[in-house]
Amino acid sequence: MIGRIWAIALNTFREAARIRVLYGILVLVIGANLMAIVLGEMVTNEQARVARDVGITGISLFGSLTAIFLGVFLLYTEVQRRTIHAIVSKPIERWEFVVGKYLGMVLVLTVLVALFAVAMVAMLLIQQVGMSSAVLKAVVLAWFEVLTVAAIAIFFSSFSTPFMSGIFALTMWGLGRVTPDIEAASRDAAPWIRTLTKITLEIVPDLHLFAVSGRSINGEHVTVHADLVSWTYVAMASLHGLGWIVGLLAIAALLFHRRDFV
Amino acid sequence: MADLAIDVTDLTKTYRTPLARRKVEALRGVSLTVEKGLVFGFVGPNGAGKTTLIRTLMGLIRPTTGTAKLLGHAVPSREARFKVGFLPESPYFYDYLTVGELLDLAGRLFGLSASVRKQRAGELIARVGLERAQTQSLKKFSKGMLQRAGLAQALMNDPELVVLDEPMSGLDPIGRKEVRDLIVELRDQGKTVFFSTHILSDVEAITDRVAIIARGQLQASGTPSELVQRTILGIDVMIRLPTETDSGELTTGADRVRRNGDELSLTLPADADVDTWISRAHAAGAKVMQIVPRHETLEDLFLRQVASADEPKEKTA
Repeated sequence: MIGRIWAIALNTFREAARIRVLYGILVLVIGANLMAIVLGEMVTNEQARVARDVGITGISLFGSLTAIFLGVFLLYTEVQRRTIHAIVSKPIERWEFVVGKYLGMVLVLTVLVALFAVAMVAMLLIQQVGMSSAVLKAVVLAWFEVLTVAAIAIFFSSFSTPFMSGIFALTMWGLGRVTPDIEAASRDAAPWIRTLTKITLEIVPDLHLFAVSGRSINGEHVTVHADLVSWTYVAMASLHGLGWIVGLLAIAALLFHRRDFV
Repeated sequence: MADLAIDVTDLTKTYRTPLARRKVEALRGVSLTVEKGLVFGFVGPNGAGKTTLIRTLMGLIRPTTGTAKLLGHAVPSREARFKVGFLPESPYFYDYLTVGELLDLAGRLFGLSASVRKQRAGELIARVGLERAQTQSLKKFSKGMLQRAGLAQALMNDPELVVLDEPMSGLDPIGRKEVRDLIVELRDQGKTVFFSTHILSDVEAITDRVAIIARGQLQASGTPSELVQRTILGIDVMIRLPTETDSGELTTGADRVRRNGDELSLTLPADADVDTWISRAHAAGAKVMQIVPRHETLEDLFLRQVASADEPKEKTA
C-alpha cells in the first residue's frame, strides 16, 4: 500500500515540477521579498518588520493559491486525459490514488514553502536580522494552512471541473480566513442569519488559526515581530488542519470511488 | 467455472446525459465467457459497446446491472488486477516519462522489487522494439510507439490474462503483424488474450474464439469456423479471354464482374451449372485460370450481424 501511494506521490511531484507557472510564482515571491527591502528602507527602523510581514504573507498567499491551482488541476487532468485508465486498472485502490496525488502535492508545496521561507530568511539576513522562533512558528502555521487548502482543492476536484473547483476552493479559503469576523458581524443580525452563519462556519475550516500574527489570542496580542503563539498552539492548530485534511481526503476518496472513468 | 478467464453475466450499462436526462443503453444484457489459454477476439463497429465492456471488466466503469468475473474474482477486484494486464484504447500516458520510467511506475503499482522491475522493463522494451527510443520522453513518441509502450506496460506483471482494447489501432502493417505475433506468443506461453478490434483480418488470423457486439448487445459468439456458414454462397471464377472478345454472354447472372484487359473475374450464383458455363467459356476462346467456391467470411457475418442488430432504446427519464 505504502509503495503504491509513494509511486503515485513521486509521479505527481514529477508532474507538478514540470508546471512552469510554479517557477513564475517562485520568482514572484522572491520579487516580493526584494520589494520588502525597498519598502523597509522607506520606513525608518522597520526593515525587518516589513521583511517578516511580506515573507509570511507571501508564503500564506502564494502557497495557498498554488495549492488551489495544483489541487484543482492535477486530479482533474488525470481523468480528462485518461492517464488514470492505465493506473486504476492496476492493483491500486482509488483511495490510494487520491492520497498519493495529495502527498505528491504535499511534496511540491513543502518544497515551495521551504524556498519561500529561505527567500525570506535571506532577506532578513541581508538586513542583519536573525531568525526567531516566532518566525519559525509562523512559517509552520502557514505551511499547514497551505496543506489544508490543498486538501480543500482536491476535495472539490474529485467531483467538479477545475473552474468550479477553483471558485469553491477560493471561496472556502476566503471564508476560512475570516471566520471570527463573520461570527462577530452576525452577532447582532436576525436569528435566521445567525443560524445560517453558524451552519456555514461549521462546514468551513478555521484557516484564521494559521494566520495569527496581529490578532488577539485568548486576550493576548500576538505578533511575529515579538512573541507569537506557543508551540502548543502551533501543534493544536496543525492537528486541526490535519483533521480537516483527513476528512476532506476521505470524502474525496469516497466520491472518486463512485466515479465512472469513461 | 475455474477454467474461465472472463465470465460476464447479463451486464448492462446505462448512461444518463446530464442535461436532457436521457438514458443511453451502452450495454444491453451482455453475457460472455472466455476460457483460459485462448485468444479471444471481441469485434464490433465503433460505438458498439466494446470499450464500455472492457472498461467495466477493468473496474473503470460500474455496471448498471449484471456481474463480471476476471479469473474467478468478482469485478472490481484488486486480486484479479494483480494477474491482469491492460492496454487502454488510444492509450494516454504521462508524456514526461520515458518508456523505462513508465514501466517502472507500472511495476511499482504491481509491487515488484526494483531488480525485477529493471529486468522486466529491459526485456519488454526489447520485445516491443523500443530500445532506440529509451531516452526519449513519451511526448516525442508516434502513435504506434505509444501503442508499443502501452503493450509493454500491460505485460509488466507477467499477467495470466491480457486485455487489449484496439491493440492494432494506429499501427502500420508491420506493427500490426508484430502485435499479432506477440498475441500468438502470449497464447503459446499459456496466457489468455482478450482483445477488441474492428479489423476482421486480424481476428481471422489469430483468434480461437470470436464474439460480435453491435448496439450494446452480443450478436454471436463462437469459433470463427462455427460462426460462418459453411454453405456455398457463390463461385468465384477467373478466366483469360482474348481482349477483342465480348464477355456479355459469360457474365449474365454473375456478380462482382471485373474485367482488366484479357482477365475477367466474376462470381457465379451458388446454384449455377459450372460445367455448362466452362464449356461456353472455352467456346468463346477463354482459358479458365481459377474456380473457387465462396463461403461466408467473418466479414460477411459481421456485416450481417451488425445490420440485424436492434437499435438501443433511448428513454427520457
